[in-house]
Amino acid sequence: MERSVIGNRVIASVIPVTLAIVGTLIANMPVSFLGGIVPPPLLGLMPIYFWCLVRPDLMPPFWALIIGLLEDILSGGPPGVWAVSYIVTYAAIDRQRDAFAGLSGLGAMLGFATAAAISCATAYVVVAMYYWRVPPLAPVMGELAMTVFFYLPVVIFLGVVQRRVVGPMRSDF
Amino acid sequence: MANGTWRNARIRGGYQLPLAVLFVLAVAVVLIGKAQSSLFDNARTRLTDWLAPSLQVVHRPVDWVSGWWASVDEAYGVYKENVRLKEENARLRQWQTAAVMLDARVKRYQLLLHAVPDPAMSSVLAHVIGRAKRPFLETMILDAGKANGVKPGEAVVDARGMIGRIFLAGEHTSWVILLSDLNSRVPVTIEPGHARAILTGDNAKAPALDTLAQGAVVREGDQVVSSGDGGLLPPGLPVGTVVADGAHLRVALLADPALSQDVEIVDFKNPVEQPPLPTPNDLPVAAAGLPPAAPPPPPVDPATQTTTPAPQVNKPTKPQAAIDKPKPEATAPPADGEPADQ
Repeated sequence: MERSVIGNRVIASVIPVTLAIVGTLIANMPVSFLGGIVPPPLLGLMPIYFWCLVRPDLMPPFWALIIGLLEDILSGGPPGVWAVSYIVTYAAIDRQRDAFAGLSGLGAMLGFATAAAISCATAYVVVAMYYWRVPPLAPVMGELAMTVFFYLPVVIFLGVVQRRVVGPMRSDF
Repeated sequence: MANGTWRNARIRGGYQLPLAVLFVLAVAVVLIGKAQSSLFDNARTRLTDWLAPSLQVVHRPVDWVSGWWASVDEAYGVYKENVRLKEENARLRQWQTAAVMLDARVKRYQLLLHAVPDPAMSSVLAHVIGRAKRPFLETMILDAGKANGVKPGEAVVDARGMIGRIFLAGEHTSWVILLSDLNSRVPVTIEPGHARAILTGDNAKAPALDTLAQGAVVREGDQVVSSGDGGLLPPGLPVGTVVADGAHLRVALLADPALSQDVEIVDFKNPVEQPPLPTPNDLPVAAAGLPPAAPPPPPVDPATQTTTPAPQVNKPTKPQAAIDKPKPEATAPPADGEPADQ
C-alpha cells in the first residue's frame, strides 16, 4: 500500500517535467510543416507556466533551467539563452503567482501572454548582448504570437492531465 | 522571504536551489557558451547524429506532402508557365552558344598566358533531413557529415545557387547556416561592376548588402556571386540579384532553402600560397658579400682520439665564391672539332 502511494507520487512528479520535455522536443523537431513561414511555439514553456501556478512543487525552478538548456541545445541558437529566459519567467510567475492564478478565461490567456512576452523579451536581450547587435524583432514577435496561439489547446490538455492523472495521484499531498 | 522559491524549498525538504543561484548558473552557461561553444556544438551534433534515422523517416511524409501541395499549386498556372519556359528556353539556347564560345576563348587565353589553373573543387551530395526556423537561427540539417568528408565552413549550393555554409559537422549529419540567418556573413562580388561587399543575413528573406566600397556603382538587377575572399568559399558561386529596399540594397536569393531537397556541399581546396625557395644569393650573408659560416667540423670518433683537440679558431677564409670560382676553360663545352684539353 505504502509502496503504491510512493510510486504514484513519483509518477505524478515526473509527468509535468516529461510533458515539458516532450513539448520542447516537438517544438524543436527540425521539420517545417508550414514551409518555415512561422516559427514554432515555445511548447516547453506552457507546462512550466501551468504547473508553476497550479502545483509549484511539481515544477521546481531547477527543471525550468534544464528545459531551457534542452531548448538551447535543440534549437541551435546561442547556449543558455532560453535557460536564462525560462528562469526569469519562472521568477516573475513565482512573484505574482496569486495574481496569475486568479485569472480566468481571456484573462488567463493574457496572463500566459505576459509570461511568454517576458520569456521572449529576455531571450531577445540576451541574444542582443551575446552578439552585441540588435537582432530583428519580427521573428521574436512571431514566436510569441505562435506560443500564445497554441496555448489554448495545450492548456486544455494540461488541465485534463492535471485533473485526471496528476491530481488524483497527489491527492495525499 | 516573499520569494516563492524559498517557500517551495521549505515544502520539498530544501533540496531545490533558489532562483538566484539558478539564474547565475544560466548566465554562466551563456558565458561559457560564448567562450567555448564547442561543448554545446558537440552535444548538438551527437544528438542530431543519433536522431538522423528518425528525422529521415519523419521528413519523408513531409517532403511528400510539400511536393504534392506544390504540384497542386503549380497545376493552376501550368499553361502560362509552359509558354514562359519555352521562351526562356529559346533565350537560354542562344546564351549557351555564346557561353561555349566564350569558354573556349578563355581556355585559349589561359593557355597563352600560362595562367594558374583554377583550384580543384569536389563536392558531396546530401539530402535535407531537417529544417528549423527559430527567431535567432535559420538552419537546415543534412545527412552528410565528417564521415563523408564534410567540414565546417564549406559552401552549400543547390541547382539554383548558394544556400549557406556548414557551421557544424557531426559524424553523419551537418548543420547549415543559411545566407538569410542573423549570423551569416559572406563576401560577395556584384557584377558587372565588380563591386565588393559583404552579404549580411538579418533573418529577412532577402539578406542585406553591407560594407559596399565607396563609389561602387550597383544597380537593381545586378548579379551577386561569391567573391572567394578569405579563401574559404570558391569564387563565382551564384547567390542572387540586387533589389532595392528603400535606401538599402538587398539580395533576392536564387535558391529557396524551404524547397531544396538535395544539395551539394562544395569542398573548395584553395592552394596554399608557397613563397619561392631562397637561392644561395638571397641569403643575407651572401647578399652582403660576406663569407658564409664555416661548416661544422665532422664528429670525432672518441675511440681513435688520442690527444686533446686544440680549441677551434675561426680563421679568415677566402670567400666561397672565390674558392669555387668556375674555370671556364675547363668546364666550357668544347667547340666543334677541338679537343677538350687544349
